[in-house]
Amino acid sequence: MYFFITGLFLLPLIVSGLLLVLPGKISKRLVILTSFLLSALALYIFINTTAPLYFSVPGYVNEVVAGADILLLVYFGWVALRKKSGLVGILTVLQLAGLLYLLKTLPASHSMQFMVDKLSVFMFLLINVISGIIAVFSLRYIEEEACSAFRKKYFLSILFWFIGVMNLVVSSDNLEYFFLFFELTTLASFLLIGFRKDAVSVKNALTALWMNQVGGLAILAAIFFIAYNGYGEATFSNLLAHTAEKGILLPLALIAVAAISKGAQLPFSKWLLGAMVAPTPVSALLHSSTMVKIAPFIILRLSPALKDTPVAMVLIGLTGFVFIAAAVGALAQDNFKRILAHSTIALLALMIMMGAMGTPVTIVASLVLILFHGISKCMLFLNAGVLERVFHLKETSDMDRLGESGPFTSLVITLGFMSLLLPPFGAFIGKWLSIETLGALATEKKILGALVMVAIAGGGAVLSLLYFKVMGGLVSRSGEQDRVRFEKTGPIYSATIYILLGLVLAGMIGLPLLLTHYFAPVAAETGRQAVPVVTEGWNLYIASMRLPILPLLVAFFLLPVTVITALFIRFRKVDRAREYMCGEKLNYSFSSFYFSTDRATPYFYAAGVLFLASLILVALI
Amino acid sequence: MNDVLIPVILILLAPLLGGLLYGFERIVKARMQRRIGPPLLQPFYDFLKLAGKRRMMVHSAHAFLGIMHFVSLWFALAVLLLGGDLILVIFLHLLSTSLLILAGYSTRSIFSHLGANRAAISVLAYEPVLIILAVSIFMLNGTFDTAAVFTSSEPLLYKMPLAFIALLLVLPIKLKKSPFDVAEAHQEITGGVELEFSGLFYEAVYTAKWLDYVFCYTLVFLFAGSNILLGAGLLVFTFLYLNALDNSTARVSYKQMLRFSLGVAFSLAFINLLINSLT
Repeated sequence: MYFFITGLFLLPLIVSGLLLVLPGKISKRLVILTSFLLSALALYIFINTTAPLYFSVPGYVNEVVAGADILLLVYFGWVALRKKSGLVGILTVLQLAGLLYLLKTLPASHSMQFMVDKLSVFMFLLINVISGIIAVFSLRYIEEEACSAFRKKYFLSILFWFIGVMNLVVSSDNLEYFFLFFELTTLASFLLIGFRKDAVSVKNALTALWMNQVGGLAILAAIFFIAYNGYGEATFSNLLAHTAEKGILLPLALIAVAAISKGAQLPFSKWLLGAMVAPTPVSALLHSSTMVKIAPFIILRLSPALKDTPVAMVLIGLTGFVFIAAAVGALAQDNFKRILAHSTIALLALMIMMGAMGTPVTIVASLVLILFHGISKCMLFLNAGVLERVFHLKETSDMDRLGESGPFTSLVITLGFMSLLLPPFGAFIGKWLSIETLGALATEKKILGALVMVAIAGGGAVLSLLYFKVMGGLVSRSGEQDRVRFEKTGPIYSATIYILLGLVLAGMIGLPLLLTHYFAPVAAETGRQAVPVVTEGWNLYIASMRLPILPLLVAFFLLPVTVITALFIRFRKVDRAREYMCGEKLNYSFSSFYFSTDRATPYFYAAGVLFLASLILVALI
Repeated sequence: MNDVLIPVILILLAPLLGGLLYGFERIVKARMQRRIGPPLLQPFYDFLKLAGKRRMMVHSAHAFLGIMHFVSLWFALAVLLLGGDLILVIFLHLLSTSLLILAGYSTRSIFSHLGANRAAISVLAYEPVLIILAVSIFMLNGTFDTAAVFTSSEPLLYKMPLAFIALLLVLPIKLKKSPFDVAEAHQEITGGVELEFSGLFYEAVYTAKWLDYVFCYTLVFLFAGSNILLGAGLLVFTFLYLNALDNSTARVSYKQMLRFSLGVAFSLAFINLLINSLT
């Protein structure tokens, strides 16, 4: 098993190196082969992992990690100097000082640096399968990018490197190791966001860099306070062993800050929105399988310790606020990718909230959301890539002919949005579980619960309006085009999107099975409590939650099947009527309302900062 | 036996009941205006007339989505009447609404698009209120299942009167009654989404509206619990209230509607939730 797990760490890193030197044709095959191999490895490990695996690495690796930390920070310092970014500079100096201090004072002995439990393996599956699909998609996408041949190789190389680092992030137990990998994902995203090298890209890459550095700094501070409060080694398992002790509250709050910065929650949401300037596969990667998913991962990892602490309460409040704020912010957007980014932030908030609540059902809800949001968002972003490359569209208001010129893309985008919103899709099940458990929270936590409930109800409705707004422009066809012929977008594009669509649909059909055999065991080990899942007749019970299967089964025919059938069904012997124009001849733009909610944004940031401050404050008191 | 038999009969008869309700409503509304009004069965005469009309459509996808709107709405109603989970019911209703909205968007018709846009806005106006209502009910009953509400001997009305008022305020939006009939607005956008449906296909959208009546009045009936007399009283009251309101008010713009529903109805629902959680 160690062999396979190490393979998951090293294979992407080796491939990343190889891609830089190998000629184009071979590297193309290598990318596809590696993607398959990684998925297969992740699946194999998932099937064969029963108990958490702790393992240590030889002593010299500690030195390598410390060296890599310093090298990385030196590189950040160099970036700060070259781009004249004061913020990055200050944060790098702080990080370097903190790191050197910790290296000097803390004992260098480590017991076990890595831990691979069911949660890690769950993340392995998401990371490797989805990122693999994105890597294959990128093959074609990056070919059409206007840049040198070497930079194209370099792009693919960083993608794989990112996958390798992500695998390391989710399996490290030691916080010093975790810090390095955390910062390496920051570096990867910095390089990818700045890939196009224009002024905006460079600026947004720097924003992403400093915001994530805040997270890194918070982790260093957490390591310091764990030692300072006398808990010894800074590891996740050590923190979890001291659940319900006051001394770990501050480290928990600090690690939560790191999660918030990675997960682009307010006040750090700007970096993810700015990341849109990068080539689209990067957005797909950041949003679905890597980077931002570190946030719910950290919270889930710590959820037994976080549960019922004041820190968790502030986190729940913060994420409730972010959920509605991000949804409202999205209404003002026109750019397709920016809209997707806002919806990611909102749904991440829900995942983090569910993780912080830490009951069996909420952990299942969080996991369900992580997986299905990953698949749906990846599908939507890859379609954004197709829109950009094949149809040359970026703004939703320009997409009013897509229903005629690209019915397949329009269908998949519609299904993608619906999968985030409506029964019977997986992401809906996650949302449903969330709402129902929040009802329980409202009973226990009174005002906080009621406020969060309002945020979720309001934010959810705003998001549904948002999805309708986007779909509105996409699907219209004139009456002359009754017969629909799917457009050809090229084998790589359509293959990857078909696979994702298949995953969305299969996940929906297999949900009862997935809940019992996939999510429940992971949730039980993550939350350190039994997650009873029982199937009785047509009902599935998760703890006290009842999921009726029959209505969901019917909903499967009412939604995805209906929407797909609608494109192909032909009513014969029916005459045609032209659309009614009321005698007017005007050029009507077939797009939806515009809402200018931009004015609220500064207040959102201010509120985010307040929440952040109170997160630390409640831990101190 | 009765707790399955009655819902099943209700579900099967739902379009009929809704049609009768609509016919009666037209009479009551006419009497309020000192007109005689059409016969009670007028909606069914219309139904028969529509069936005989020449079949026309814009394109097949549009027509098909209209039919599926009817089917999915009937299903949402069935789950509600059979005592299903209230949150699921709300989202199944959203599913059926979104099929109609999608149908509206699927043509290149101006009015159909405007109507669909406004229908989407209406969702934003009423959905949060309904979800808060569902959660309030959960806090009182400990379950989201409506079956528990139908059999509860203590009517919800006495425990959460504010929530009932909030429901009354958003019902006109859901039923497209004045002053909140922006999504339909015959004089303005000629019926909105309905416009491009005709003949047999319009039948589906037309009868779906009857189902919506039954759906909304069932929500009202929830507030009476197992007290059938009170339930009947609430139904009559809501019926008269809706028609009086429809007759006496002028349409507001969608912005005003949104502001009112999120500002007043949603706040009422929230206060109700707070009271429920504190007591």
